[in-house]
Amino acid sequence: MSVAIEASGVSAVFDQRVGTFGVHRRVVAVDDVSLTVKEGIALGIVGESGCGKSTFARLLLGLLAPSGGDVRVGGHELQAMDRRARARLIQPVFQDPASSLNPRRRVGEIVALPLRAAGVARGERRERALLMLSRVGLAPEMAGRYPGQLSGGQRQRVAIARALVLEPRILICDEPTSALDVSVQAQILNLLAELRASFNLTLVMISHNLAVVEHVADEVAIMYLGRVVERGEAGSVFAAPRHPYTKALLASVLTPEPGLGLPELPLGDAVPDPANIPAGCRFHPRCPAAIARCATEAPARGDVECHLVQPVPT
Amino acid sequence: MSPVLEVRDLRVRFGAMAAVRGIDLAIERGQTHCLVGESGCGKSVSALAVMRLLPRGAKLEAGAIRFADEDIARLPERAMRRLRGDRMAMIFQEPMTSLNPAYTIGSQMTEVLRTHRGMGRAAAVERAEAMLARVGVSAPGMRLGQYPHQLSGGLRQRVMIATALLCEPDLLVADEPTTALDVTVQVGILKLLADLKRDLGLAMLLITHDLGVVARIADVVSVMYAGEIVEHAPAGQLFAEPLHPYTRGLLRAIPVPGKVKRGEKLATIPGIVPRTEAGFRGCAFRDRCGFATYECAEPIAARVEGAHRWRCRLEAGWREAA
Repeated sequence: MSVAIEASGVSAVFDQRVGTFGVHRRVVAVDDVSLTVKEGIALGIVGESGCGKSTFARLLLGLLAPSGGDVRVGGHELQAMDRRARARLIQPVFQDPASSLNPRRRVGEIVALPLRAAGVARGERRERALLMLSRVGLAPEMAGRYPGQLSGGQRQRVAIARALVLEPRILICDEPTSALDVSVQAQILNLLAELRASFNLTLVMISHNLAVVEHVADEVAIMYLGRVVERGEAGSVFAAPRHPYTKALLASVLTPEPGLGLPELPLGDAVPDPANIPAGCRFHPRCPAAIARCATEAPARGDVECHLVQPVPT
Repeated sequence: MSPVLEVRDLRVRFGAMAAVRGIDLAIERGQTHCLVGESGCGKSVSALAVMRLLPRGAKLEAGAIRFADEDIARLPERAMRRLRGDRMAMIFQEPMTSLNPAYTIGSQMTEVLRTHRGMGRAAAVERAEAMLARVGVSAPGMRLGQYPHQLSGGLRQRVMIATALLCEPDLLVADEPTTALDVTVQVGILKLLADLKRDLGLAMLLITHDLGVVARIADVVSVMYAGEIVEHAPAGQLFAEPLHPYTRGLLRAIPVPGKVKRGEKLATIPGIVPRTEAGFRGCAFRDRCGFATYECAEPIAARVEGAHRWRCRLEAGWREAA
């Protein structure tokens, strides 16, 4: 299987000035991450707010130049690529379709716009836009409506149609269902699965919702404070998580099963701050299993970045 | 024992749009009652109506709200203000919008005690500090001097909870209290709410869209759809045998780790929620329901079996055709 996306040692560092006197903060949102996504795979990236997952998505889309390292898509360096060429290869779907769709344009125009940018003739644009709308389950008359006249689920379908109209190879979905109700979320997840199969897409799904990722992804990467702390085949990571953080995350998923009560979670409220990454293992201040070494020495790179986990011999 | 809060036939309208269409609720001391539903179902409006905090443009059309043996539905605002923050309190989804960014945590917390209890400064500070410690805020003395933006989302929510409980209310209304929080933080806040409910004997009305939260914390559940409570039951019973097709649909649409196989389709509920204008008749779910018949366009009487209540023509024990 060939490689669709290859991120090697990518970092995203932001310099912030806070307050009147300009206290300097150096925020490391993504810290030297290397990750390969094979063609046709659905990769789920999971993490809590501030872990850098959305910044990572912007790096993969080429919307943000990495502070270090590089991202190659289909063998080409993303930053060196022409904007139009990039758009034909990789497309995003964002969380809130209400803010990612232009409220003053009709649905038909929104979906046809990428085609116009790509220089497709007017007649063909209309035809392809309508075809794509039907592929995402929207009736042709929706083309004449404005985003404000649609429901949340319909708007997300429009965003998906716009992303796919150029028939890209890769779709990056950043929290595509987080703003939706569960009954609508299920529809969008089913739609993504269907489109993925028929367009033979490579899918990167970023979410804080583990249940959603488990349903969609073939492989998962768990992010914590800018690094991927555990990665692997989705089934085995969910069945047998190895990193203490992954374990805690999975334990905190509240499934609709009464009588189980609330799980014991030793993590506490301490919120990880990407401007102040702890020395040693970045998870050690919250880790229930931390040993002395965790505070001083960063764990070795690998599928599971933890001192307490022995690498699996391959 | 009479319930702390008893709502009868509550109706709220926004112009022609009927947002809450005659709901009944009763919450006893030490009970967590979850009001669950999707966006726009009227759950938050119901909570605001109970607190008499409806926004301008909303009209409390009818209904009785009995709280502490008094109907507060028509109580003048002055009297309501004495109740709110004292006998009844509310916390919201995003504490940053409920806390004033220009005042310290301490001044916002002590204001409650000075207003409602006429406490002096020193006593109020002492009580606020003790309350922060009670809700699991570390270094409570220092926190009193901090501003809301200096705290994390989880801590801010703890501060909100502490503030709400300062006067030991009988009723706590919590509107999506953990929706804005990360999953690992959410568990801590829910645990705290469960502990406080038990220790203080609170009656708690918890509004949420998340059936996972409901399953783990609710004693009693009311499922709302298009302004009505379509099903009501003790939590265990509701999840073991949901009787309204909407509740069943919702429960099946949630991906549960290990339950639905990858690549397998999730169950969905087709269609969208109808607009319910005044005078809407029949079951609001009928256009999306696989079991609807012509009867469903007529007003549907609630069925009752023990503590289980549901608004559907289908009788208990119905099953989907295989």
